[in-house]
Amino acid sequence: MPSKILSFNRGLFVQNLRSVSWIGIVHFLLWFAAIPLQLLMAYSQKEDGGIYLEWESLYSISATFQAMIAFTLPVLLATLLFRYMQGKQSVDFMHSLPVQRAELFCQQTVFGVMLIVMPIALISLLTAVCHYGLSFPMSLTFGDIIRWTWETTVMELFVFAASIFVGMMTGMSTLQVVFTYILLLFPAGITILVLANISFLLVGFPFEYYLSDNLEKIIPFLRYINLEATSLTVGELLAYLLLTILFLIFAIWLYQKRPSEAATQALAFPVLRPIFKYGVTFCTMLLGGLYFGVTQNQFAWILFGYIAFSLLGFFIAEMIIEKTWRVFYKWKGYVYFAAAMIVIGVLIHFDVTGYEKRLPALENIRQVYFGSSVYDFVENHKRPYVPFEQENQFLKEKENIRAVYAFHQQLVKDQPKPSRFTEQRQVVIGYVLKDGKRMIRQYNVPSDLYFSYYKPILESKEYKKNYYLLLRDQGYSPIRQVTFHHPETGERTLTIIEPKQIDSFVEALKADLLEEPASAMFDSSKVWKGDIEFLQSDGDTFILSWKKTYTHVEKWLNDHQLLEKARGDAE
Amino acid sequence: MIHLTNVTKMFDRFQAIRGVNMTVQKGRIYGLLGSNGAGKTTLLKMMAGIIRPDHGTVLIDGEEVWENPEIKQRILFLPDHVYFFPHTTIEQMAAFYESVYPSFQRERFTRLQELFLLDPRKKIHQFSKGMQRQAAFWLAFSTMPDVLIMDEPLDGLDAVVRQKVKNIIVQEVAEREMTVVISSHNLREMEDLCDCIGILHGGEMLFEKELDAMKTDIHKIQVAFRNGIPEQFAKQLDIVYKEQRGSVLLLIVRGAKQEIISYIQPFQPLIFDILPLTLEEIFIYEMGDVGYAIENIIV
Repeated sequence: MPSKILSFNRGLFVQNLRSVSWIGIVHFLLWFAAIPLQLLMAYSQKEDGGIYLEWESLYSISATFQAMIAFTLPVLLATLLFRYMQGKQSVDFMHSLPVQRAELFCQQTVFGVMLIVMPIALISLLTAVCHYGLSFPMSLTFGDIIRWTWETTVMELFVFAASIFVGMMTGMSTLQVVFTYILLLFPAGITILVLANISFLLVGFPFEYYLSDNLEKIIPFLRYINLEATSLTVGELLAYLLLTILFLIFAIWLYQKRPSEAATQALAFPVLRPIFKYGVTFCTMLLGGLYFGVTQNQFAWILFGYIAFSLLGFFIAEMIIEKTWRVFYKWKGYVYFAAAMIVIGVLIHFDVTGYEKRLPALENIRQVYFGSSVYDFVENHKRPYVPFEQENQFLKEKENIRAVYAFHQQLVKDQPKPSRFTEQRQVVIGYVLKDGKRMIRQYNVPSDLYFSYYKPILESKEYKKNYYLLLRDQGYSPIRQVTFHHPETGERTLTIIEPKQIDSFVEALKADLLEEPASAMFDSSKVWKGDIEFLQSDGDTFILSWKKTYTHVEKWLNDHQLLEKARGDAE
Repeated sequence: MIHLTNVTKMFDRFQAIRGVNMTVQKGRIYGLLGSNGAGKTTLLKMMAGIIRPDHGTVLIDGEEVWENPEIKQRILFLPDHVYFFPHTTIEQMAAFYESVYPSFQRERFTRLQELFLLDPRKKIHQFSKGMQRQAAFWLAFSTMPDVLIMDEPLDGLDAVVRQKVKNIIVQEVAEREMTVVISSHNLREMEDLCDCIGILHGGEMLFEKELDAMKTDIHKIQVAFRNGIPEQFAKQLDIVYKEQRGSVLLLIVRGAKQEIISYIQPFQPLIFDILPLTLEEIFIYEMGDVGYAIENIIV
C-alpha cells in the first residue's frame, strides 16, 4: 500500500512541530553563525577599513565548525525524532495508534529531512544576499554557494540516515548517538587495526603500503573538512547518496521487524548480541595489540595487549548488553573467543599462506624497487616535488636485481623482528614481475648488520645516478650560482657565479658523488661539513650536503684558493 | 469479537505466553485476571497490535490486528502507565486523538469535562498520577472505540472516580455494544463489572468462564440426616468438595439448583440448605490444585 505509506498524518506532524522543530531553528542559527554572520562581520570590518580575511570558498570561513554542525545536528535530530522508540511507554503508545510502522517511519524521516534541507537552503539564500547585496570584493562565486549547499545537504542527510539506521538496532538514545559515530569511523578504524596488527605478526608486511591516503576519504568527518580543498567527486556523491538510501531502506526493514519491547534494551535484536559482543572483543583486542605494538614493539607485550584488552572489551560489551556490571560469571563466551583467536594466531604464526617466505623467481623479475619507504612503489603515484636525494628507486640492471634479491633472500631467511634497542632502518623491497604482477615487503633491520647487503646497491651507478639530483640525466636546469653555507650558523661563506668555475666545480662534485662510499650515504651527519646550494636558471634551488669525503671538491676549492673561505671559521 | 488462537510469545528465553486461546464476544466486559507476571499486559498489548505474537493469531472481527490501521482505528488501549506527549495539555492531546481516530467526538469530549473536572488547558504532566489517569479515561471515552482494552485501569483512582468510570463503561457497553477487556489482579473489583472472567497464570489460560453461568452452576449444600448419611446419597452428585462437621455434611456440588434439590429431597434430610458461593469460593474450589497458586488474586 504505497499510497498508505506516503499518507500524511496531520496529528503526528503537529506533534513533531511542537516537540522537534526547535532543532531546525538551532540548526539554522548555527549555520547562520558559521557563514552569513561571518560575512557580515567581515563586511563591517571592511567598511571601517579594518582587516578581514579573503575567503576562497564558503568552507574556508569556518571549516571545522561547519563540520561539527554537519556531524552533530543530524544525529541529534534522528535521535529525537525516533526517541519514542526508545521509551517503553511512548513506544507502546505510538504503536497502538492506527498507523502502520512504515508510515510512521516515513513521517518522522520526512520531517527530519525538512529540518535539514530548509535551514541549509535558507542559509545559502542569505549568503547569496549578503555576498551580492553587499558587493564583497571576494572571490566567492555563485558556484561556491551552490557547491556548499548540495555538498552540505548530502553530508547531513547521510549522517541523518546513518543515525536512523543505527537507532533501529538499539533501544537507547545514548547508544544510538555513540553507535552512530562508531559506525562512521568503523571502516577506517578497522582497516588501521587489522593492517597494523598483521604487520606485527607477519614479518615483511608493508603496513604503510596498504594504509593508503584514501583512508582519510572514508572518514566522512575528515572528508567534510577537506571539502575546502577538494569538492566531492561524482563517484563520492553517488556513494554518499547510495549509502543514504541503503541506510534508510535497511532502517525501515529493521523497524518492521523490531519488537516494541526492544525499548530501553542496549541491542534491539537478540541476534545482534553475539555479533556485538565478539565484534567489540575483537576490536579492543586489536586496539590493545596496536597500543603495545607501537609503544613496546615486543611480542610479549603485544600478546599481553591482546589478552588484557580483549578481556576488557568482552566484559564491557557484556555490561552494555546486560546493563549491569555483574557479568563476570559469563566467562564461557570468552573461552570460545580465545580458542578461535588462538587458532587464527597459530595459522598466522606458522604462516600457512607462506607469506613470509615468498620470493618471486629471479628470472621472472622485470625490475626491483628498493628504498626505505613504500610510497614510491604505489602505481601512478607522483610526488608533488623532486627530492634532492631519491632513496626509493626502481632498478632494472641485472646486477642490481641480483643484489636486491640476495638482500631479500637473507631477510626471508633471518626474519628480522623489529626491536627498540638497536638502530633500526626500514628497508622496502618490491618487485615488478614480467607478467606485470607486483609484490612488496617492508622490514625493519639493524642497519649495521645488513650493511654488506646495502653496499653493492647503494654504490651501483644506476642507483647513484638516480639518487642525487645532480647526477640525474636532465635532473636540473643550468646552474647560475653556487653558494656554500656554514654548518652551524647557516650563513653564506662562499658564492661562485663565474659560469666556467661553476662548470668545473660541478664536475668535481659529480666525481665525488659517484665515488662516495655507501657508508657516507647511509649516515651523512657524521661527515657533514656544510651545505652547498645551487641556483638554477629557472629560479629553483636545490641543496646538497658538503661531506668530508668529497676530495675532488676539496681539491677544487684548494686550487682556486677558496677552501678557507668556503669553510668559514668552521675549523 | 476478539479471538486469540494458540498465541505464544517469548521474551529472550522467557516464555511469557504459552498457547493461549481466548474469546471475547461483542458487547461484553471481559476481566483478565492474573498475578503479577502472569502475562496479562503482554496479552493485552497483542490485542492492541503493539506486540506481535511469535505464533498464533490475534483477530478482531476476523482480521489480524498487527499493522492493520483499519482495525486499530476502532481499538483503544489504555496502558497501566498512561502516556501523553511531553508538555502537552489535554486540549492538545484531544486534537491529536481527533486527527488519528475518526470516531473521536468533540461534543462528547466537551460533555465529559463536567464529569472529570480537569482543566483541559493545563499541562498534563503537572497533574497528579490519579488525575493523569482520569485524563486518559476522558480521552479514551471521547474516542468512542469499538474495543476498549485497559491494563489495570482502576488502580490509583479514588472510590468516587472509580465508580464514575465503571458507570461510563457499563453505559457504553449497554448503549453501543462496546467490547471491553480489563486486566486486574483483584477479583473483587471485577466481580460486579465483568460478564466473563479469564484467569491467566504463568502465561497459560487456566480458566475462562461466564460469570452468571458460573454462579448458577455450583452450590454449597449443608445436610444432616437422622440416621447418618445414607449410603447411596453421595453417589449421584458431582461433588467438588466434601467436609463433615459433626453430623452436618458440607458439600460443594456442581449442577443446576433445581436438579440438586429434587435429588436430595427424597432422602428426607433433617437439615437442608442450598447456598450460592461467593466468587472467591468458586475459584478456590473450581481450580483445585492450582487454586493455591492464584490465591493472591482472589483475596
